[in-house]
Amino acid sequence: MKKNSLFLLVLFFLSVTTCFATMQLGAPLTLQEVTKVSEINKHPDQYLGKQVLIEGLIINVCAARGCWMDIASDVPFEKIKIKVVDGEIVFPLEAKGQTARVEGIVEAVHLTEDQARSMARHHAEKSGEKVDLSTIKGPTTYYRIRGLGAEIN
Amino acid sequence: MSWRKWNFVLHRDLGYLCIGLTLLYGISGLAVNHTSHAFNPSYTIETQKGQVSPLPSGKVPDMSYVNQCLAELSITAQFKNVAMLNPETIRIFVEGNTIDVIVATGETIKEKIERRPLLFGINYLHLNKGKGTWTWVADIYALAICLLALTGLFMIRSKGRRRALFLTTIGFLCPLLYLLLKPS
Repeated sequence: MKKNSLFLLVLFFLSVTTCFATMQLGAPLTLQEVTKVSEINKHPDQYLGKQVLIEGLIINVCAARGCWMDIASDVPFEKIKIKVVDGEIVFPLEAKGQTARVEGIVEAVHLTEDQARSMARHHAEKSGEKVDLSTIKGPTTYYRIRGLGAEIN
Repeated sequence: MSWRKWNFVLHRDLGYLCIGLTLLYGISGLAVNHTSHAFNPSYTIETQKGQVSPLPSGKVPDMSYVNQCLAELSITAQFKNVAMLNPETIRIFVEGNTIDVIVATGETIKEKIERRPLLFGINYLHLNKGKGTWTWVADIYALAICLLALTGLFMIRSKGRRRALFLTTIGFLCPLLYLLLKPS
């Protein structure tokens, strides 16, 4: 019994400590060519449904579940959201300010006017930024990447 | 040895083996059950407003301004990176902190992130963030508690059978009733 307990204890600490050394998350990256975030933002329809590899600075990470992160574009003030299935990949909060290479599929998210307003309101509450909800008129579409794998440096 | 004795030994020893992990999953379960944007079970997140000198109009924020902001806020943690979120706001990343500076006014919002002691580790295991080896351990544990439940069922003696059946039925009914009655 003592041996079993000791084994489990050692396994516990090994798992916790060694897993932080690697920042490979999800599936291993397969693509070599990096697509610029600005290119995807500029011509989203060309990339829709395609698997891409992007890299950039992590400027925000989901504070609740680590289920999304924002990657800064190569063009000032632009970014792209990486969304992953809850629990499949968990982006660590400490990753903010580090650079990431992310592979995933470009997808479109269609929002009704109510959904878009609710999302903007939620974002404003979280970030403290002022958002003019009256500017949201009608359904909107935004583009993001469904993350499959990532390397955080 | 009779099957009842084997069943008892299996139930007892599995019970001992599962104590540690059951407590780990139980405590972590309580924490992750209440995950929301206001509560992260693995990290403490504190935000604090502050003030630095605004950037003189017409000037573009550069590293000297970033260093000036950090100095004015008495932040000595290791600098990681800086990003221009929009024309009005820069985000400075240092080890453990993120600082948003509205350059025109000098208003700052500092976000401090710290791992919760103990909970960070047990949530890491519970949510299987490491995958790999831990998936095996967690699978074996899951099978072990299924066995624990089944062997427990066979430990029911004739004396307390009615009570045992009543409590076991409640255990099954709880999730079933919830699923049946929950609003769609």
